[in-house]
Order: sequence, then structure tokens, then C-alpha cells
Amino acid sequence: MEKKRSFDPLGALSSLWRNHSYIFVFIVLLIIYAITIEATGKTFNAGHISAILSSQNTVIVGSMAIGQALVIITGQIDLSVGSGMVLTAGVTSLVFNLTGSVPLTILAALATGALLGAINGVLVAYAKIPPFIVTLGTMLIFRSLALWAVRLIPPTITGSPSSQFALDSTKPGYNWLRMQFGTGSIKLGSFAIPYVSILFIVVLILFVLIATKTKYGKSVYAVGSNAKAAGLAGVSVQRVRASVFIVTGLLVGVAAIIQACKVGNVTPATSGMSFELYSIAAVVLGGIAMAGGRGNVLGVLFGALSYATVVFIIVSIPALGPDIQNTFQGLVLILVILVQTAGPSLRERFRRRPVTSDVPTGPALDEADTSQSDAEVNAAAAVGRLSGDALSKPVVEKEQP
Amino acid sequence: MSILQMTGISKSFDGNLVLDDVDLTVETGQVHALLGENGAGKSTLLNILAGVLPTDAGTIVFDGITYHDASINQMESAGISFVHQELNIINDLTVSENIFFNHELTYPLGILKRNQMLAETQALFERFDVDIDPTAKVSDLKTGQKQMLEICRALHMDAKLMVFDEPTTALGNDEIDHLFALIRQLTANGKAVIFVSHKMPEIFAIADTYTVLRNGQLVSQGSIASTTPLTVTRDMVGEHGGTAADYRPRPLGDVVLEVNSLSSAAFTDVSLTVRRGEIVALTGLAGCGASELLQAMFGAFPTLSGTIEVDGRRVTGSIGAFARHGVGMLPTNRKENSVIPDVSVLENVYLAEHCLAFWPPYIIKRQELERYDPLGQMLGIKADNPDMSINSLSGGNQQKVFLARWLNTEADIMLFDNPTQGVDVGAKEDIYKLILDLADKGKTIVINTLEIPEIQKVSDRCVVLYGGSVVADLPHDAINEHDVMAYATNAIDTRS
Repeated sequence: MEKKRSFDPLGALSSLWRNHSYIFVFIVLLIIYAITIEATGKTFNAGHISAILSSQNTVIVGSMAIGQALVIITGQIDLSVGSGMVLTAGVTSLVFNLTGSVPLTILAALATGALLGAINGVLVAYAKIPPFIVTLGTMLIFRSLALWAVRLIPPTITGSPSSQFALDSTKPGYNWLRMQFGTGSIKLGSFAIPYVSILFIVVLILFVLIATKTKYGKSVYAVGSNAKAAGLAGVSVQRVRASVFIVTGLLVGVAAIIQACKVGNVTPATSGMSFELYSIAAVVLGGIAMAGGRGNVLGVLFGALSYATVVFIIVSIPALGPDIQNTFQGLVLILVILVQTAGPSLRERFRRRPVTSDVPTGPALDEADTSQSDAEVNAAAAVGRLSGDALSKPVVEKEQP
Repeated sequence: MSILQMTGISKSFDGNLVLDDVDLTVETGQVHALLGENGAGKSTLLNILAGVLPTDAGTIVFDGITYHDASINQMESAGISFVHQELNIINDLTVSENIFFNHELTYPLGILKRNQMLAETQALFERFDVDIDPTAKVSDLKTGQKQMLEICRALHMDAKLMVFDEPTTALGNDEIDHLFALIRQLTANGKAVIFVSHKMPEIFAIADTYTVLRNGQLVSQGSIASTTPLTVTRDMVGEHGGTAADYRPRPLGDVVLEVNSLSSAAFTDVSLTVRRGEIVALTGLAGCGASELLQAMFGAFPTLSGTIEVDGRRVTGSIGAFARHGVGMLPTNRKENSVIPDVSVLENVYLAEHCLAFWPPYIIKRQELERYDPLGQMLGIKADNPDMSINSLSGGNQQKVFLARWLNTEADIMLFDNPTQGVDVGAKEDIYKLILDLADKGKTIVINTLEIPEIQKVSDRCVVLYGGSVVADLPHDAINEHDVMAYATNAIDTRS
């Protein structure tokens, strides 16, 4: 991030706020979390941070959110990642239980994920069906296939008698897998960094580099920013549109491995429920514009961490039962986006106020009116950058001119 | 009698003075041309007149009443209507619904008087001799018809003063003639018109008086009859107008581009050969197929039969295939077809080259800058740094960026579709000069344009299309406004 120490620390901070506000969002949420922990009489420590880092919402949803971010940058959406993860984790478990081979299991997870992504990509890019519709359809299909299969396949192969897929604990690779992609961690004094968190961060860095330093990454942004112009500059627009779904599929494969190994099983009826929406929330909290063309993949890291922290905050308040949890998650999401979109307009107002206040005549009042509306225009522009128009601009609409 | 007197108008944004003590007077029954390069302050002045922006100083007297910081609605009901440069009509409504948009005739409870609105629209169209079906959906209209609809909507308000902001950019020559007849009809009925345009022949054909703005200041003002296009252009451009492009012949190489009996939905059986270093202009009325022909030569418009050969090899398929054979295109309608708005100038430039050279897959910025710097210098791209947003550049500068996009791929054949659209006079000359310089360096150039002076300035040959067929292929010395128009309107029927 911004390592440059400028002569104007306040200016540097404001530019950091402008371009990477998701970092501040995460820090604020972390402070709130620390306060709630302390308020319940416990001590906030490294263990809490480690828990956020390795939480399902960080590593599983976060991995899929990286792909979701690319899909959203191209101006599309993928609603099938949650169901896709469940189906892929099911296939992964079956392959492990049948072969006992760790490399084959990992390969099966990635290949299945990529295949499911390819189905979405081909339907979107070549059959020209709006992505919202395609992935809504495959969302239903993938989960239903997993449900159907788990009841059809004998428990000796699914690894569990209770309508779920589980890794067979008698196979030799079992402990290794559960360790590497689940419970294992590197101890740094009292601070434990789980392997899965390291895996997530490595994958994330890889995709930050792909997005910012490769020709492919630039073409993804170009397609999202102005697909027609990108096409006339020689970009294979449909190929790029399809490819981001396949990439997302690969990341769904990664998420499926973590699900199968960290949780140990996957229940088609309940696992990964609403994960597609959580992944979109992580992308939005990461400051990526839903309208496409803008945003930073690095934001997904903080978006996922922020989302995970929100869940931890709610869980740590004993007065809040599980039923009311989603209400708070939804409120926090809306509040954060509100702060991000209202922030620039408020700042603009404060910046302008002294200019108009020393000329209290008639025309000056009108001037104040226009500067206010200027501020609104700027705010509207910032909304796009900070993904506020996300909420007002459904992607389907964009796909149907 | 003056209908409008704007006196001493000043306006600044964030401390930048964009209008400095400007006067504008428009007489009843006259057409007043408002002239100036992009950024001269024309739009700001018109926005003040429209009530969109308040003035910092000065007075507006319209029809005897003084207005101070009036609202948009006040100015509209006072009797001023605008035809904007960008289309402001709604594609999903019908023609008649657009005419009455926001002024609908209704029964109680807001129920529309549909038949009455249709009848009034029909009457309006008959009065001005406009051939559009009032019940048609706007999305089904051609661009020229949409522009006429926009004009008719302003006419329907029956305003005392009508402001036309570059109304002819989307019109063919016959439609322009129609528009001018319509404007004359208005002024004959005692209406006043403000006409904004960059095109000198139009201004000298229609306007009675003129005002030239430059850098927010009033430069000259007077009667069109007592000035010349050259004087007005000099007033608009100011000091930096010394770089006029001069046509010069140059030695031509072998045939590098050959179109054989090419047909598509927009043109039929077109054959064309272009030699290395040659500048060929395609022209014709709007809808003649020239733009589509140019796009077809870049794989951007589907063809039905015939072949295109580049350097003797047949090329088919997508834009990528043509780009790999060294063809580049500067499309028309820059904002829609060229600008990638969310990325930087540099990223806009290297996009096309990266599609051709996908390996290595990573970007080394230092190398990209080494390629960009000489291009930026040669083309004279005025950008503070290549990392700034493409949106902060002017139209002419953006056009140079997209030219750099293809020069960066070392394309040998450059197709220009309406390259000076929405570009101010000074930058137009820059672009003509660049086209001639590129041809001197051995690039082959095909231009599609509707502006005949532009063709005379740069092209070796002018291919005229009418109704999708080539009707004339004129050498440089034979290109003149009269002949080109005669062929373009099919006044000389070559096919019989």
C-alpha cells in the first residue's frame, strides 16, 4: 500500500482514505470488536485476530470474493459461487474417499470448480444470456445436484451417514489435508497464523498482481469500463467475460478444498448458504464498483476481513441471538456504504463553507446552492468509485441495453 | 429590435475566469452565430442563458424583462428553447410522447390525451415538412431523424428564441438543407436563433450576425456579410493558428489494401484498391454506407460476400485478425467507441498493443513509457503525465491518444472514421497535419468524412458513395465541393 511518506502526512492520509477507505473501515470495525470483547469482561488478544484471519468468512468467502471481484469489475455478477462451492466440495470429498490421493483430490477440486465456472462463462459470453439469470439458474442447479447426489450415493463413499459429504478419516492423507487446509498454523510466540490464512493471502496477492501488472488484468478493467471501446481496440470481449467466470470457478475450487478440510464435511442442504451474497458484500466493502471498471482487488482482503469482523462482533454480544444476526450484518453493510458515499459530499461541504460564508449577499447564497450541487455531483462520482452505485444499479439492467 | 441582450457577463469556477465581461445581442428575426473553440466559454454562456448556471456579474434582458439568476423553468417559460448537441430524447417512448414529454396534455387524473397529442405532432411535422411517423418508437429512428425530432421538440415549445448547439453533427447534407430551410422559416416569422457550430460553410450560409469568443473573452462581433471565413477562423483560433496543414503529393507504393466486390447490409458490390502511402477519403450522405465500409475493412461490420486483402493476403474474421495484419481504426463517436473512461491515458494507449502481443503476459511500465514518450511527443498529446485520467483531456487530445493506441501497434493501414468530430478548429488542423505526416512516413490511410474541405486538405483520392455503391473515384485535383456533392446526392447518375 501507500508506503510513501510525503511531507504532508495529512494529505497522504487523505489520499489513503480516498483510494483505500476499506482499510479504515476494517480498522474501525476491529476497534469496535475490541471494545465489545473488553465490555464483556474478557481481554482482547492475538487469538481474536487469529480467529478473524482463519474464519470461514475470511478464507472461504474471501477466496470466492476474489473471483467475484473480477466478475464484478467486468460489469457482471456470479450468484452461483455458494452452491458451486458445495457441489465442488462434494466432488472433492468423493474423489478423496475413492482414491485416497491428495494430489488427485486437489486437482479434482480445481477442475470441478473451473468446469462449473466454464458453464457460467459460456452461457454468458457465447449464448449472451445476462449473467444474473445464468448464475441464478446454476445457483439452483449446483446445490440441487449436490443434494440429489448425497442421497443417491451410499454413505460408505460420501463418508457420512447423515446426508453430507465428509473426508474419510481412515485414509492415509486425511490428517495431512485437515492439517494443511484446516486447523494447522504457524506459531509466532502467542500469535498463531493459520495455514489457510496464508493460503488465502498468497492467492490474493497473486490476483492483485494479475489485476494490476498483467495485460489480462488490464483487459478485464477495460471490458468493464467500456466494452464497446475495448472491443474496437482489439480486446476479445466475450473471451474476457467468459474467462472471469472460469477464474472464479478455480477459486471456488480453492474454497471447496478449505471447506472440506477445515470444516471436515459439507452438507448440501445448509453449507455455503448465501455465500454468494456474502462474497458480493465483501467485494462491496472492499470498495469495488458494482457498475464495473473500477476498484482494487486488494480491497477484497479488507472487505472479507471486515465482513468476518462484523460477524464476530455480533456473536460476541450475548444479548443478540442468532435470529437477529442478519439484521445487524445488513445494517453494518448499508452503514459502511453510506459513510463511504456520504463522506466525500460532507467533506466537500466543509471545504466550501468558509468560501461562501464571508460573502453573505444574495448572489453568494445562490453560489452556495450551486457549490452544494457541485458537491453532490462529486459525491455521485465518488459513489461509483466507492461502489455506492452498486446498490442503485442492478447488473442485469446493465446487461440489457 | 433586440430580443436578447446579455451585457458584461462574467463567470468563474474555482477561481478560473471562464467568461470575462462578455456581451451578446440577438436581434428579432435573425440568426446569430456563436463561435469559438472548445473551452472558449460558449457552453457556459449558453448555460447562463438557460438558467442552469448563475452569473457572477452582468445582466440578461430578454424580451424587455431583466432576469437575474433565473431558474431553468423561468427562462423556458420566458420563451427560450434549446436544441442540445447531445441527443436528449428518450428511446423507449414514441415520437409524439417525446414531443410532449413533461408537457403532456391530460384529462383530469393525469390521463393522457393521446389522440390529440398525435394530431398536434402530425400538424407540427406537416408545418415544417418533417417526414417522421408520430407513432414510431424513437429507438427505430435513424440518427438524423432523432436529431430532427430533438429540433421539433424545441419548435413545439413555440419559443421566441431558439438556441441550436451544434445541431448538424449527426445530419447528412440534405438534412442540413432541410434544417436551414426550417430556420429561415422561423426567422421569417419573427423568431430569433442562436446557432453554434464549428463549420464555416454552414455559418456563412445561415447566419446574419456573429460573436466570436476566445478563452472566455469577446474577440469580435458583427455582421456575417462584412467578414470572411478566414477572418472568423483567425479570431477563433488566435495566435496558435499558424500550423495549417498543406496537402502535398507523395510517391505511392504497391497496393496494400484491396476490397473486392464486398457486400453487406449497408453497401453492395464495392471494390477499392489503396496503395502504400496513399490517403483515400470515403464520403457520401449520411446512410450511404461509407462508415460501414470502413468498419468492414476492420472486421467491425459483418459482410455478406466479397473479400478484403491486406498485403495480398485475404483477411476474414474479427477485429483481432485485422489488427494482426497491421490495420488500425480510429472509430467515430469517440466517447462511445474509443474512451475507456476508468483507466489512465497510458493504459488507454497500450491496450491495443497488448491484445496483439499477449506474451509476455506481464506489463513492464518502464518499457511502456519508453514507447509512449516518443508517440506522445510526435502527436503532441497535451497531458501532464501519462497516469492521469483520460477524461481530463480535451476531445482533440483524446483523439491523439487513440491514434497513439494504433501507432503503438505499428499498424501500417490506418482507418479514420469521422476523425474531427467534436474537435475544435485548432486541434482539427493538428489532426490533418498528422494524417499527412503519417502518409509521408509510409502509412496508408483511409478516411470517412462528410466534410468536403477536410477531404480537399488531406486526400489523394476521394471515393464517393451513394446508396451503398461507389459512384465516383476522384483524383485530388478533381475534388471540389460542387462535384462531390453532385455525386453524393446522385445528381449525376453514373449507374444508368
